[in-house]
Amino acid sequence: MACLHDHSCEDHDCSSDWSLYKHIDLPKVSALNEAVPGSVKSVFKAWEERLNSSGGHLESNEGDPELLIFIPFTSDVKIKSISIVGGVDGTSPSKMRAFINREGIDFSDAQGMQAIQEWDLVENFQGVLEYQTRYSKFQNVASITLHFPDSFGGDTTKIEYIGFKGEATQLKRDVVATIVYELRPNPSDHKTKAEGGGLSHVE
Amino acid sequence: MVLEATMICIDNSEWMRNGDYAPSRFQAQADAVNLICGAKTQSNPENTVGVLTMAGKGVRVLVTPTSDLGKILACMHGLQIGGEMNLAAGIQVAQLALKHRQNKKQQQRIIVFAGSAVKHEKKTLEMIGRKLKKNSVALDIIDFGEEDEAKSEKLEALLAAVNNNDTSHIVHVPAGPSALSDVLISTPIFTGDGEGGSGFAAAAAAAAAGGVSGFDFGVDPNLDPELALALRVSMEEERARQEAAAKKAAEDSSKQEKGGEEQSSSQDATMTERASAVTSEAENKSIDFMDDDNALLQQALAMSMDEPASGHEMRDADMSEAVVDDPELALALQLSVQEGEKDSASDKDMSKLLADQSFVSSILASLPGVDPNDPSVRDLLASMQNQSEPEQKKNEENKPPNEEK
Repeated sequence: MACLHDHSCEDHDCSSDWSLYKHIDLPKVSALNEAVPGSVKSVFKAWEERLNSSGGHLESNEGDPELLIFIPFTSDVKIKSISIVGGVDGTSPSKMRAFINREGIDFSDAQGMQAIQEWDLVENFQGVLEYQTRYSKFQNVASITLHFPDSFGGDTTKIEYIGFKGEATQLKRDVVATIVYELRPNPSDHKTKAEGGGLSHVE
Repeated sequence: MVLEATMICIDNSEWMRNGDYAPSRFQAQADAVNLICGAKTQSNPENTVGVLTMAGKGVRVLVTPTSDLGKILACMHGLQIGGEMNLAAGIQVAQLALKHRQNKKQQQRIIVFAGSAVKHEKKTLEMIGRKLKKNSVALDIIDFGEEDEAKSEKLEALLAAVNNNDTSHIVHVPAGPSALSDVLISTPIFTGDGEGGSGFAAAAAAAAAGGVSGFDFGVDPNLDPELALALRVSMEEERARQEAAAKKAAEDSSKQEKGGEEQSSSQDATMTERASAVTSEAENKSIDFMDDDNALLQQALAMSMDEPASGHEMRDADMSEAVVDDPELALALQLSVQEGEKDSASDKDMSKLLADQSFVSSILASLPGVDPNDPSVRDLLASMQNQSEPEQKKNEENKPPNEEK
């Protein structure tokens, strides 16, 4: 399949490079100011599908091109570069700002906070451009939040595809998964094997 | 079972003194707030609710979003009425309060009680609406109190700007006989977009008639299970005893079997619903009973299950036919109209009146097709007199469990 990169693709398979989408925790992906709730999930797909917009795309609300996308991963990843395919007619995003490992950012937070890295984007309809990251800062990414403040003059911002290139480690951030709350302690739950004496019981 | 953080914006402006919603707009609003808090916390234990006031000296947050119902109910006491409502500032402060919620996983929702007139421009409200939509905050608007074209238009425009996929709603509640809370129970504000909330709404409707905070017997089974259990058991025992007593009374007068059943079933219902409304209902019905047999029995049973609100209207319809120059009848009319608000104290008045033979026979005489000298009518009167004494005793005993509620 033609890669449209300016290198010959016989050596390696481009799609495997952009396979970090497999490590995205899709059910927990969310976006603010999207016109159709839930449409943000359709922009994370395989490299080959990046121009295929049959699954839908992400569009911001009429008259407001700002978009904020929260992307959690299922394990910690290292992100080398990011690729964005925007919409036509000036609806591509013009700037991108990234925040790492922060939950619950909303627009006022995003506008006030210092981003970990910012890029000026260009219109990239074929998805051949990638934006490099400062790799040292993107080493243990459990979640990334992308803020697109503006478009190229269009009324809305459209995003067809977001791709991440990098490596996935198998590590996970500390997440306490199962917590059992007790109103009152139940001694039978806390019995330890008494060694020798009978002094190690809970009253 | 949506996980939600809700901020309720209360209108405590001067316009809330008006009594067109019984007992006053402010009181109706407070009841509705209590009901909403109960509904939200019951539908998902991790939901949080906060309250702020929009009038008075300025927008003031009374409680930040918390799942502690007691705190919310406590802060509703001692609220002062005064000033003018500032809708825009209220919504913005609510948004800020929600932004700083502890659990970021919760969906954000604002519920606004818009009682007084809206002084902001439509454009301002639309801008606020768009900002809420952008930050995915849902908004429920309860339009009551002052009614004017511009206000409805502005609030509809605000809703249109906020609404994202039908998560936001607006309810217009005109002044009328039914309480604000009763009207709200059937709206999507309570039923939570139709997912599992309707079960709660039905329970709340039944509990609201009998309790204060939406729990059975006014006691949270989670907070004090033993007390809740004890109250429930004593209720069951009382009910069983009453049924036994009623059966005995029914056996005394064979022809009045059905009448006795009716009264005992209505007495059962008095335990769970507003005592006075139903007893007077059933007693009026037992007089009419002489005319139609099964139809009225069905009606009375159905009505004793209904909410007191609808009971009111039906009673009015019945009474209108019996409105005569008879002064005693007029007195009974007045009493039964007041029943809806008074507690079981008026039970005794009604039963005393009905025990008054002359009064009853004068009523019966005025009803078509009833001959006071008919032996069946006489028996009914006798049984009612017998009933009225054990009834008074039961009322005494009803009072302590009732007051515990």
